[in-house]
Amino acid sequence: MGTAKARAPPRTPATPTQPVETSRYLPDKTFIIDNGAYMIKAGYASHAPASDEAVSVCSSIPNALVKTRDNKIVIGAQLATVNDWNEAMFRRPVEKGYVVNWEAEREIWDQSFFDGKVTAQNRNHHIADPEDTTLVLTEAPNALPILQRHTDEMVMEEWGFGGYARCLGPTLNAWNEIHSLFGDPLSSTSDASILPADCLMVVDSGYSHTTVTPVYKGQALQRGIRRLDLGGKHLTNYLKEIVSMRQYNMVDESYIMNEVKEAVCYVSNNFAGDLEQTWKGNRKRQSGPEEGIVLDYVLPDPNANKKGFIRPHDPLLHAKKKKGAASRLSADVLSEDVLVLGNERFTVPELLFTPGDIGMKSAGIHDMILQSLSVLPTGLHSAFLANVLVVGGNSLIPGFMERLETELRQIASSECVVRVRRVKDPVHSTWLGGTRLAANREELSKISITRQEYQEYGSGWAVRRFAGLI
Amino acid sequence: MFRVELVSDTSTATPGWSYAPTRGFDPTQAMAPSLGRKRGIRDAGKGGDISSRQANAIARHIAELDRENQRDVSIPAPVKQAREAGARGTRAKTTSNVRRILQSQKTFRNHLDDEEAAIASGSGGIAGMQGAGAASIIAAKGGKAAARTATPASTAGVKRPSAAMVGTATGASTPAQETTDAETDADDEPSRKPKLIKSEYDDDPLLRSYAPPVPSDRLMQRLLAEAPLSYNASRAKPPASAPPGRHFCCMCGYWGKIRCKSCHLRTCSLDCYKVHEDSRCGAFF
Repeated sequence: MGTAKARAPPRTPATPTQPVETSRYLPDKTFIIDNGAYMIKAGYASHAPASDEAVSVCSSIPNALVKTRDNKIVIGAQLATVNDWNEAMFRRPVEKGYVVNWEAEREIWDQSFFDGKVTAQNRNHHIADPEDTTLVLTEAPNALPILQRHTDEMVMEEWGFGGYARCLGPTLNAWNEIHSLFGDPLSSTSDASILPADCLMVVDSGYSHTTVTPVYKGQALQRGIRRLDLGGKHLTNYLKEIVSMRQYNMVDESYIMNEVKEAVCYVSNNFAGDLEQTWKGNRKRQSGPEEGIVLDYVLPDPNANKKGFIRPHDPLLHAKKKKGAASRLSADVLSEDVLVLGNERFTVPELLFTPGDIGMKSAGIHDMILQSLSVLPTGLHSAFLANVLVVGGNSLIPGFMERLETELRQIASSECVVRVRRVKDPVHSTWLGGTRLAANREELSKISITRQEYQEYGSGWAVRRFAGLI
Repeated sequence: MFRVELVSDTSTATPGWSYAPTRGFDPTQAMAPSLGRKRGIRDAGKGGDISSRQANAIARHIAELDRENQRDVSIPAPVKQAREAGARGTRAKTTSNVRRILQSQKTFRNHLDDEEAAIASGSGGIAGMQGAGAASIIAAKGGKAAARTATPASTAGVKRPSAAMVGTATGASTPAQETTDAETDADDEPSRKPKLIKSEYDDDPLLRSYAPPVPSDRLMQRLLAEAPLSYNASRAKPPASAPPGRHFCCMCGYWGKIRCKSCHLRTCSLDCYKVHEDSRCGAFF
């Protein structure tokens, strides 16, 4: 590509193929889908976004086809009806963060958004007339162009949305109200139209991977985007693997181990100390049920309709159980299966910060932020370091934020202020940012294409248009 | 026809040289050392202190962590005749593009390989269109911008260097805050300059703070207009200065202090080592 073309500012149409602005029709109703690998976050944008109210409109739909133990296949929102998660098998249309298998994704979308009539239950996520709806769809950064093209073709040709904008998920977070989050004074023009934050470093730690995206005035600085190929899935699998080797065989229990992970895992702020504390040699020296790190997780029992739960570790439980009926334990306690979780609790999420622990040659999250900054102008470093926003499910692991801030503080230049924040609801933050973007009609129409444009210029044009090349 | 070559690896009990057969003359292989299979295995993990078998084991482990299910299962999407007939009746017919996408059984791996091949051949999608000249222009502009604003920064007599950084840091994100610490923020508007308190220490080199200039709008436009990196290029690199790798007990997860003599896995204590030796030591490496 020659420099002459690159010099044109982005998003301003310079090619004669651009239609006249007045003829563009972008439907007013905006539907936002944050198509996560684990969960689809979807819902309509209201015209006056109030952050707390808006999230209640958002529906979370598991993005998976599940085959349960009795060989039943369950899709998307129906997963809520499953009681027995033992040996449940998953098929996810999203691979590595990108929609690869549209056959499965179409089933889930159809079932969630298009099938049936509007009812009270699906009112918030039912698309009756795609032709009269603008779709804002998120994608993970650095997607393969061929997959982007597939996405565009499916959206515009299979469902035929009236308007369509495919944008990088992390960038939408910049539209959220983050000034109060960082304790900055509100800008005086708050009553004017909603604008994105100027500089924001978005760390998105999701199911398939963890990305770092520098966002400048609502747009990503592409050269600074970095990705760590570790996410919630890897943590769950790692925990599964460790537990399977040390205690019970749990290799087929992805769902249950995910619940265990969410219940017990934390990011240690004193790794070596915690490791000493959980070592079996030191464990014996402490007497009685300890207050410390070790926990028991009682596995769910679908036959008795019992959910899994945690309780403090009882070191004598095993011995008592061996005695069986002689000990005065109830039948409930005797029949339950318990996982004892010691250093598993913190060595598993530790991978996000030191991937070298499993031999992976990659930087941890904190180092990745600096790698991202190293390719950006030095004048922006301090602004980005002072505005690090963490979104995605992994940020809910206790201790994650403190650890990230500590690590980043240690390696960042001492002259810079480091502020790491998490929004109240890091899972829906991207979706919420989408609703606020949708409230700014002018910006939305700049990044959207209409059905008519797509039909006229085709999917190759759409891919280039969303990449900002036209 | 034989060629004699030196073996660089000194840690093992191999001879210092070996015969390596050459299979005729191949111009592509002429410069590259043609290694035997065994030595290839040992050396392929170069660049670190791990053998290629260990590297393979790590790669396999990471690939295993990436799986959805432990076993390969096929979960077909349920067939729904009713929907095809009813709800879809009003919609337009499935286009050829859609049919092609739905029937595609490619995995992400396949797509990525295609993309990498396309990039290697110089026609890789959007990523291939990335201008090579952009980077050099930005570098030059960055340098110029730094030179231009070096002077105003030095005129600002700032008491604490860290305070100046707070000013630029938050100032860039919230213009409203600039008024509160305007005296520390010298390099944006000349109108603010009279507010600065002059003192004799203004030129003291110890107190001088250097705040890197905020890049110009034009530079930012150029940066924003850049095409995305390719999938592989955006992966995080290994850290520049990494602390030495940590090793853990393969049984209990504590520090791995003892290395098994036959398989090189680590254990923390004799207890763990005995369990390992009895049940799990596969003498793999």
